[in-house]
Amino acid sequence: MLFTQLFINGLQTGALYALIAAGFSLIFGMTRIFHAAHGATFTIAGYIFYECYSVLHLSWPIAALAATFAASVFGVLLDRFVYAIIQRHEGSFFTVFVASFGMAIIVQNLIAMIFERGAVTVSTPLSKSLEMLPGLYVAPIAAVVILCAVIFFMALQWLLTKTSMGIALRALGENPTLIEVYGLTPRLLSQYVFLIGSILVVPAAILTAATSGLNPAMGNHVMLISIAATIVGGVGSLRGAAMAGLILGMAENLCLSVIDPQWSEAVTFVILFLFILFRPGGVYGRAVVS
Amino acid sequence: MKKLILGLTLIQAAWALPASATDYAIGAIFPMSGPNAEYGQIFGAGVNLAVEHINADKKLSGTLSVIYEDSQALPAQGVTAATKLVNVSKVPYALSAFTGVSKAVASVGARTKTVMVNGGGVGPDLATLGEYFWNTIPLANFEVRAMAPFLVKDKGFKRVAMVYVDDPIGQSLLTDLGTEVKAAGGEMVGNFSIPTTAQQFSGIAARVRDTKPDVVYIASYGNQQVQLIKQLRDNGISQPIASYSAFSTPSVLTLPEAKGVYFSAQQLNLTRDDPLTKRVVADYKAKHNKEPGAYVVNYYNAVLTFAELASALEKAGKPVTGENLLAQRKATKSFEFVGATVSFADDGTIKAPIQINEIVGDGTTKVVSAGK
Repeated sequence: MLFTQLFINGLQTGALYALIAAGFSLIFGMTRIFHAAHGATFTIAGYIFYECYSVLHLSWPIAALAATFAASVFGVLLDRFVYAIIQRHEGSFFTVFVASFGMAIIVQNLIAMIFERGAVTVSTPLSKSLEMLPGLYVAPIAAVVILCAVIFFMALQWLLTKTSMGIALRALGENPTLIEVYGLTPRLLSQYVFLIGSILVVPAAILTAATSGLNPAMGNHVMLISIAATIVGGVGSLRGAAMAGLILGMAENLCLSVIDPQWSEAVTFVILFLFILFRPGGVYGRAVVS
Repeated sequence: MKKLILGLTLIQAAWALPASATDYAIGAIFPMSGPNAEYGQIFGAGVNLAVEHINADKKLSGTLSVIYEDSQALPAQGVTAATKLVNVSKVPYALSAFTGVSKAVASVGARTKTVMVNGGGVGPDLATLGEYFWNTIPLANFEVRAMAPFLVKDKGFKRVAMVYVDDPIGQSLLTDLGTEVKAAGGEMVGNFSIPTTAQQFSGIAARVRDTKPDVVYIASYGNQQVQLIKQLRDNGISQPIASYSAFSTPSVLTLPEAKGVYFSAQQLNLTRDDPLTKRVVADYKAKHNKEPGAYVVNYYNAVLTFAELASALEKAGKPVTGENLLAQRKATKSFEFVGATVSFADDGTIKAPIQINEIVGDGTTKVVSAGK
């Protein structure tokens, strides 16, 4: 029964990791910007939802909308007023990374100043486990997490493959110079990518607030998961990010049946290391031309 | 003309005299960012109040100030901060926190003869870090000695499972709890170590449930302990939860899932009828709208200790150095602290009665076992 329990926990954690990684993978794959402030977007969305739902007692759809709005505004403004300016002055990949990293630190400290430095949680009956079978506990929120992941990935897949905007975004990831020949503006498309990538992180932030709680410094963990899932899944592949998130979450939980919990997080990095060594392109990766 | 020259000479002579007032700076190596920043905020509230009182009372000839450095509760960052405070700011006295950080900075203090004072970390081996390392908080071995009999004998919880963070405080508590539970007639049915960065505990909950414990003891701190309590409760751990003084933070005390949790902490007598205790309680309440907790009091006392020692050294005409502060502490039999009159033992620690609290909810606690 322990294995079944860990399998279900792994499914929930994996779906959450997939949602967390999707936004980062999309942004990095399409714009080649190492958006280190992706964790900050996650934290902002989580705290806005917490403030609206738990403190101001607004209904959850309104709180979720407020979180989506805040995350979107942050992502788009960061792209427009930080990344775009650095790129206009031909700043290097590293310069953009440092700016993004700095922004993540600023956001972490601002949130600590506004919301205090302690952890906060969103209480909901959905996170309370029910005993389905003797020794097997499942929380209703597990189904919500998995359902959310499926819906968001299907919607994203549809957007990227069936709409002209999605095709343009994929073209941006392939060759940003060439798309200008077709009358498209890479800068504008970049903002759409940040808008979608920032929205993608919102369900994960809300569900994390309800399952494990929020703290101002949690963006670092989000980034670790995002980077690992992007590399394992293959840069630029959303299917890959989803699959990698699932693999990492499952591995983190299933390994508990055989090893000490202390090493469960290390399993993530062992997987990452193995992929870098033996399959650097990731699960669904393709050759990257630098 | 002669008077003018005499006047000018006197003015020049007066200017040439050494200043009678000396300003002092002490260091504070606290986590100000990262997942344990909540503690830094609490510790800082105690330090700032003490500095405010000391300067208002003109306890020292000059002004006392604090130079804060961010350790992020990480030993390496702590050593960098301590080195900066000692070598650049030249402080004779610095405050530290967290067992791992304190153990790391103690060597800097011993090497440079700078006094390091801990008021927050409770690892038992903090009593063995040399004579330049002092503690104004009773250490965890005393807490475990009070908690284990309470759980096993008073409550009848014979089977104890433990989830502990894999760092010096977690390891210390693991050793001490194992010994004390066995001595009280109970047994440890499972020990689960977690990394300091872990945030997902549903799998741990499954492993803990499998051991069928009567009580779960948590040895973690900071934001992680909040996540741990919530996820254990959400994932079917209905057994009582117990822990140590790190649970006395607002985020734990206000967590709905933490209702009914037991934690040990030093006994604070804030109703003590002395002007110092009354003043600290009143002023802290006025600023923060609540009574000061143990951490606030411990760091207030740590700063007060410096002021008492530095004042005595000034009166004796000696410079305020780490060496002289240590000698003066050894020569001082007792200190009037907030809530108690205390003495430092030879190993630089203090002792205080330990009580068991139960979290009632909405940020409040009740004492379920009086200080022993």
